[in-house]
Amino acid sequence: MQKLPLDGARVVDFTAIWHGPHLSQWLGVMGAEIIKIESSLHPDITRSRFVFGKERAGLNLSVDFAALNYGKKDVTLNMAQPKARELAREIVKISDIVADNFGGGVMERWGLGYPDLKKLKPDIIVYSGSGYGRTGPYKDLPAFASVVEAFTGLHSITGHVGGEPAQMASHAWDDLVAAQHGVFAILAALYHRSKTGEGQYIDLSMSEAGAAFLAEPIMDYTMNGRVAGRVGNRDNIMAPHGCYRCRGQDKWVAIAVSNEEEWIAFCKAIGNPEWTKEERFGNELSRWKNQEKLDKLIGEWTINYDHYEVMERLQKAGIMAGASLDMEELAHDPHLKERDFFVEMEHPEMGRLSLPGLPWRLSNTPKGNYQCPPLLGEHNDYVFGELLGLSKEEVRQLKEEKVIY
Amino acid sequence: MNVGALSGLKVVEYSQFISGPYCAKLLADLGAEVVKVEKPGFGDKARSFGPFPRDIPHPEKSGLFLYLNTNKLGVTLNVESATGMKVFKELVKWADVLVENNSPREMKRLGLDYESLHKVNPRLVVTSITPFGQTGPYRDNKACDLIGFHVSGMAYLNPVDGVEDIEQQPPLKGAAHAGDFMAGLSGAVGTMSAVIAQQTTGLGQHVDLSEQEALASITRYEVGIFTHEGLPWERQRGGRGPETSIVPCQDGYAVINATGEGFWTNLVKMMGNPDWTKNELFQDPFYRRQNSDAIRLMVGEWSKERTTEEVKYAAQANRVPAMPVYTAKEAVNSEQLAAREFFVEINHKEAGRIKYPGAPYKLSGTPWSVHCSAPLLGEHNEGVYCGMLGYTRQDLTKMRGLGVI
Repeated sequence: MQKLPLDGARVVDFTAIWHGPHLSQWLGVMGAEIIKIESSLHPDITRSRFVFGKERAGLNLSVDFAALNYGKKDVTLNMAQPKARELAREIVKISDIVADNFGGGVMERWGLGYPDLKKLKPDIIVYSGSGYGRTGPYKDLPAFASVVEAFTGLHSITGHVGGEPAQMASHAWDDLVAAQHGVFAILAALYHRSKTGEGQYIDLSMSEAGAAFLAEPIMDYTMNGRVAGRVGNRDNIMAPHGCYRCRGQDKWVAIAVSNEEEWIAFCKAIGNPEWTKEERFGNELSRWKNQEKLDKLIGEWTINYDHYEVMERLQKAGIMAGASLDMEELAHDPHLKERDFFVEMEHPEMGRLSLPGLPWRLSNTPKGNYQCPPLLGEHNDYVFGELLGLSKEEVRQLKEEKVIY
Repeated sequence: MNVGALSGLKVVEYSQFISGPYCAKLLADLGAEVVKVEKPGFGDKARSFGPFPRDIPHPEKSGLFLYLNTNKLGVTLNVESATGMKVFKELVKWADVLVENNSPREMKRLGLDYESLHKVNPRLVVTSITPFGQTGPYRDNKACDLIGFHVSGMAYLNPVDGVEDIEQQPPLKGAAHAGDFMAGLSGAVGTMSAVIAQQTTGLGQHVDLSEQEALASITRYEVGIFTHEGLPWERQRGGRGPETSIVPCQDGYAVINATGEGFWTNLVKMMGNPDWTKNELFQDPFYRRQNSDAIRLMVGEWSKERTTEEVKYAAQANRVPAMPVYTAKEAVNSEQLAAREFFVEINHKEAGRIKYPGAPYKLSGTPWSVHCSAPLLGEHNEGVYCGMLGYTRQDLTKMRGLGVI
């Protein structure tokens, strides 16, 4: 078995909330040593996000934090204090990557802008993520994923036919799209550095990373001046293509038919009802044009069956179908279970955690560094004592002075 | 000659439509040498997908194909023929990486499963991007972007916004082909991790990317709530993050996200301290999160008196994270994206000059760049087969006659 790909690399991780921590979490799982910098005065806000009415007494009990911060070590540094910034600089000197996703100017104010960091370590790779980028008229605007998504046009094309604009799926889409693009850019920078010894500065704008997925509507506008509408679960080409109600409470199945062969198989699989022989459903183009009626009729069939049953029956017949899973079903999905997608961790305060792991597998690499999400300041003694070589007394003193705090 | 971060990395792409090509595009746009292998005749099926200029379909003018295949060399090859398979293996021997998005069954049938490829080139990293991965009970299931969104739980988590009858609305897939893009992006990250490992060990491995997992990964917080707290995420919750409001304006909609005390205070000030915000209940952030629907309605009373631009300027002046729900038109004409030079004009032999989305990130030392537009079908047959593999032009003529290229 090989070592983990980023074994030996170290990251000074100033990121917080969602976009940045997601990025540094993947670097950590891939083997880099992540030193997450928080402070007792400013812990990552996800530590205090409570859930469904249950207020969390401690800063080490949040699922929101846990889902985005495993694989990391954690220190507390009160960055308002010059001594704390000096310690941060010492950590940078022995690291390979520095990452942040602050609103504008924070790193520079701390004397940790790219030019400063380059002086400390010439080949340092610096990643700075933000809503709109570190340059331009919007560079200092406060941003969250939902707002950035509206800006790039995502809301305008998300939603049901005839409905209002809608959010895209769960949690923080653009945060995580940007995070993955960011990890890719960092790995590319590491590759470049391994060949040339050169580091560099990566300025990632969530709006730009998100817009990279929107080539279709963007190019329809730049080529044809046309603005796309909302299509729900429909497709520009395929019909039937939608989500249909099944037996039970709020249970649904997604079905897509891409050609005549699949259509014939589909009709057979649902028992060749009379309506499938109607002329208006007799060819691909006509089915697309009559999909509203088509969807209704299909829904009258699916309503009688459990959604897994529909998926299995149609897949057996060679048709694209998938049960629309809720969170409980996702957690119990037999396919994800067999692939060990969920990773188990033991957390000293939260107990057993079961969270999604890396969405890819490497055939000759160990599973990944899934150390449990860190307690606030858990690794102060390790980082300042062992890594930086301060004595126990020095560390104790710095804690008392609220530098390590 | 361009020096990209990935200069020197040699990639063969045997994929089509979106996920595989986007993965390979990310590598190509940062300087990797990518040879894209297409079937003779029709080529990549994305060539048949719009948008097309003036809606006139043309295999060399698909906006989707043009965007996804920048910076790649294009060859045609029929790997079902014996000569074609021999040539393919020569390309595999040349390459550091193979990116493919064919079904596991198909690759096995062709004799191009990982074990076989590894024998041809033990150094080779093989990235396989599929709907459900290489293993598990669903691995042979047929799927498309719609299916991926639903079986990953992402569709279920789409908040049921802006519709009259919540009960009637199915879970919603993401916009355009967001799922396929996400699979490609995640595949690229997995690929780079294996490439970095390859630099140390000299050995390749199989990168197994499942689109279901790439998307399920984004549900991490919501599924974590279930696995840890046993609480299902209710679909009929209204706005996605409780703090996010999609509000009506005179001429459209805006998205306002006032998470945190600071931004809430600014929001209240922006609206001129309306009476409802003085209510004791709304001072409690926990209460605000539980009553996001009410907040959205009340903020809507303020926003509906204003245009989207007025809301945008008020938000900027008061430091409230907010943006109008823009379409591709506003995004393409955005002053911020213009200042960032995000959109790039690329000239293509057949399609002419068109504006494309550009760099998802800005690297200071080795910037993203386009040195050639998407290839015409088989455009680089001579350059690759003669120039790189040593075939003669007479060989090519024979191969064309035999249906090999």
